[in-house]
Amino acid sequence: MSTSDLSVSAGRVLASGRSTSLASSPLLLRLLAGLVILLLWEGVVRGFAPAYVAKPSGVVMAIPKVIVNPAFLEATAITLTAVAQGLAIALVMGTIIGLIMGRSVVVERMLRHYVNGFYAVPMIIVLPLFSLWFGYSGAARLATIVFAALFSIIVNVADGAKSVPREYLEVARSFRSGRVRMLREIVLPAAMPYFLAGVRLAAGRALIGAVVAEFFTAIGGLGYFILYQSRTFHHDEAFVGVMLLAAFGVGFEVFVNWCTRHFMPWYRRDEKTD
Amino acid sequence: MRRESIHRLLPFVLSLAAGMALWEIVGRHTSAAFMVPLSETIHRFWQLAASGQLGTQFLDSATLFATGFALALLVGMPAGLLLARVQSLRVAIEPYIMILYATPMVALIPFILSLMGFGFAPKVLVVFLFAVFPILYNTIEGARSIKPELIEVARSYRSREWALWREVMVPYTLPFTMTGVRQAIGRALVGMVAAEFFLSSTGLGQLIMTATQNFDTGGVFAIILVIGLIGVGLMRFGLYIETYFARWRD
Repeated sequence: MSTSDLSVSAGRVLASGRSTSLASSPLLLRLLAGLVILLLWEGVVRGFAPAYVAKPSGVVMAIPKVIVNPAFLEATAITLTAVAQGLAIALVMGTIIGLIMGRSVVVERMLRHYVNGFYAVPMIIVLPLFSLWFGYSGAARLATIVFAALFSIIVNVADGAKSVPREYLEVARSFRSGRVRMLREIVLPAAMPYFLAGVRLAAGRALIGAVVAEFFTAIGGLGYFILYQSRTFHHDEAFVGVMLLAAFGVGFEVFVNWCTRHFMPWYRRDEKTD
Repeated sequence: MRRESIHRLLPFVLSLAAGMALWEIVGRHTSAAFMVPLSETIHRFWQLAASGQLGTQFLDSATLFATGFALALLVGMPAGLLLARVQSLRVAIEPYIMILYATPMVALIPFILSLMGFGFAPKVLVVFLFAVFPILYNTIEGARSIKPELIEVARSYRSREWALWREVMVPYTLPFTMTGVRQAIGRALVGMVAAEFFLSSTGLGQLIMTATQNFDTGGVFAIILVIGLIGVGLMRFGLYIETYFARWRD
């Protein structure tokens, strides 16, 4: 939280006289801004949009109905399970490939262009192919999630494994420590922050992959729930699903950042994202 | 020096050749509905290019991408700089921008579809939404990195607001904005294809959908290859402008 405190004190210095008192309590300011945004949204929808369009009051009314709706709960469970499975597969494969790439120059030069290439391909483009290969099924969704998540993990783990200071390895070698021990006690800890950055990225991409796959193949899940509700003009209900997705996105981001700070307080690096 | 470059290039060329050979062999030994060899993919690519389909649809997609991305840049950059300058506003709406940055924007496509229907505008909106938040978010991050002393010094030398923007705000935030631009390029590409898949079907997205429906696996592979190469090219370009402007960072 220290950065935001800093920025607030900077705000106090920079802001012109009138807003100084407001800037001194960021929480109040933020709540106020949130209120303004919600009121604007409500007003615009009430004034200009058809009745079915989602508005804050409607969404709030819809929340208690939706979160006890068994169809919604089941859809959420299905999508989250698929994301967790896909992420687990991508983590294991990505870590292994990334470590090998990071520690072997030959393998790195061989695979680098493929990994970078697949990473740059917009993941959504594989959907037609995956639906052709796996049918319109959960398998296509799982494959999309793995594809979406895998390459950001490989790239980051490889970067991390490469970042190990050479001296550490030389010292370890001169004390005759074995390869496995060096991997476990030097390479892995050094690669850990990179790994976490990769996981954070991968989780976001996996979530998008799951939703996109459900839109495309129309198989049950949270993405399909949103699609179905909005097609039947239940925008308020659909928006509860979007809020849940956003909560997962933000929650995971916060969780990984917290892990990085808590378990690796020694670590500082420019964020490398997307 | 020559030896060095050969050592660098050789594994790449070898792995590229191996990858192409692998694709060819696997493609020849699987059912054509499942996968086609590289030669067949290239053959389909030439057919699509020669018929003019690929060219028109590519221009269609490029127009969509460019319009959405330009709008994102035109809105994201000034808005980010404004938030950088007006601290209380930034403190107030920063968390909401962060939330939108982390929200999977694809989830909004069904809403855009039922509100705006089929047409060019809703698709531009999708690309815009995918691209604008990385630009905005990173510009704000850049603004946070400006040292208050710099602005104080500028102030005490009585520099005007315009000079302050030109000399301090823009040069200090631009490298961060460019990181946002690089991220936004990748996202906008996903947005472009998503819009072409789920809204009215046009461009390269339509081409790949038609190929899928006709079980034209060669066509699917050819277009994936095209979009993949575009993705790689754009990423390279994004990385280039990011490193170019990164020299300004202290």
